[in-house]
Amino acid sequence: MPFLTLIVRNIFTRKVRSSLTGTAVAIAIMTVFALGVLTYSLRETAVSILRTGSADFTVGQKGVSDVLYSSLDDTEVARIGSYPEVQSVVGVLVAAVELDKDHPFFLELGIQPDKLSEFGVQVVAGTPYSPTATDEIMLGYRAARDFGKSVGDTFTIADQQFTVVGVFSTGQVFGDSAAMLPLPTLQAAERKPGNVTLAFVKVKPGTDIDALRKKIDDENPELATVRTESEFGRIDRNLKLISAANVGASILALVIGAIGVMNTTMMSVFERTREFGVLRAVGWSRLRVLALVMAEAVMIALGGAAAGLAAGYVAVRVIERVPEVVGIFQPVYPGDIFGRALGIAIGMAFIGALYPAVRAALLKPIEALRHE
Amino acid sequence: MIDVVKLFDAGLIRALDGVTMAVGRGEFLAITGPSGCGKSTLLHLIAALDVPTSGKVIVNGYDLVYTGNDRYRRSEVGVIFQFHNLLPHLNALENIEVAMFSNGMGHKQQRERARELLAAVDLSAKETTPPPRLAGGERQRLAIARALANRPSIILADEPTGNLDSASTDRVLTLFRRIQEERHVTIVLVTHDVHVAADADRMIRMRDGRIVEDALGSPQ
Repeated sequence: MPFLTLIVRNIFTRKVRSSLTGTAVAIAIMTVFALGVLTYSLRETAVSILRTGSADFTVGQKGVSDVLYSSLDDTEVARIGSYPEVQSVVGVLVAAVELDKDHPFFLELGIQPDKLSEFGVQVVAGTPYSPTATDEIMLGYRAARDFGKSVGDTFTIADQQFTVVGVFSTGQVFGDSAAMLPLPTLQAAERKPGNVTLAFVKVKPGTDIDALRKKIDDENPELATVRTESEFGRIDRNLKLISAANVGASILALVIGAIGVMNTTMMSVFERTREFGVLRAVGWSRLRVLALVMAEAVMIALGGAAAGLAAGYVAVRVIERVPEVVGIFQPVYPGDIFGRALGIAIGMAFIGALYPAVRAALLKPIEALRHE
Repeated sequence: MIDVVKLFDAGLIRALDGVTMAVGRGEFLAITGPSGCGKSTLLHLIAALDVPTSGKVIVNGYDLVYTGNDRYRRSEVGVIFQFHNLLPHLNALENIEVAMFSNGMGHKQQRERARELLAAVDLSAKETTPPPRLAGGERQRLAIARALANRPSIILADEPTGNLDSASTDRVLTLFRRIQEERHVTIVLVTHDVHVAADADRMIRMRDGRIVEDALGSPQ
């Protein structure tokens, strides 16, 4: 009989105990998975703003809690543009507005029409809006499709009606799901005259981008340059907090799951004391007894992890439909979340089952055989 | 065994009080005596399930000073317990196979050997039956088959007929004789039943942790 067969047989002999252990693992993994997907998706939604505009790097206000609170004035944008290595700088005002209960987080981008091509925007239908128009708007093609709008239609934002003069594409989900308005129009609506949220910078060919970034950072201490997703926390502390909370929750899930595994495995070892005595009496080594208990725990944990991943997926789909969350994030399932969940499940099994397994292995055969 | 002493409960119980004895290869030895005389304790020491408080236990070159003698238990001895100690969630065949882990045999070989042993104890028809559904005598025969799994040179049986009727007892004793003769195995059998003990080649009587009589059994 293969060792694996014995492990499976032992697990199914004690269905209730195995199910309880597996459930503890499943709940922990469900939490880790759902939180991980939520965090990653929120991060992707926020960070995707960086990908809009085909810039070499982005400049924002340093240390704000949310990127939408970042504010740069005309002077700062002009100062960035004055660096000889800078080819172009596009100031963009980003705002979020609740259109209706199904779209609580609709993004508006304020940008001048003469900066559209620098920003990587392609007008695929209609024409760009006029620079000073107060009632013209362009919709990203995803937004136009979702709202069923085309050129010439009316689009209402906060009781103000706009005419859709064009449909655009940025090649990026975030941008294509938003609307674009003339910068002064959005600045007036947001009461931020002369301010933009972010400055998207393109450098001249051959420029050492990191050296330029360091120069800008050093000479403008109130600003922060961001080039990669991992640096996004410099201009959005919320995401750092969310990431930290995610790590904390994963650690907590690991600890709680391990305690659950340890509890049920200890009870199982106690109940099986005589069985372990018999196995030692017929020549099983301590190491093999330890391996049996550990392997059973790992196998149960893997089953629990599978169930937890399925439950986590369902949980994300349910959360996605909660009214307060609709439209705020699109679930994204990164490959490493599955690896992390699996690793945590196996970690739980190892940490939780180690002490009971060692106890089982160190039982004196004769004392174990006398156990009732 | 050389001057073996075994104490329990911090010395309050003197289970073995300076026992010295030798067992010849291929011998069928019965150890008898009243309850609490130390016969089971003696067996447990030979099986390396426990260790002496003082003295030496040497079997086939193994000095049994600690209970980590897994290799010894795996290759030299087969133990039969009074209450069988079979694993109830495994069937008859698997109860034998589980004793053969780490003996170097492949799974197929282990299965073939387990089947051979079941046939040797007349339990071929009960291959897939778990122990709770076997009769008392059948369970004891299965326990004997398990004890033979790794071709031990010594079989240690602790009250193997204690819970059996006379017919099953006779069957088990006949089996022991056959094993001794066919496989040249040394058998050490602990029993409180002098009739069972008389069936052996040699009988040792114990009382209060000491050997009080060491005699040849009924001639076979």
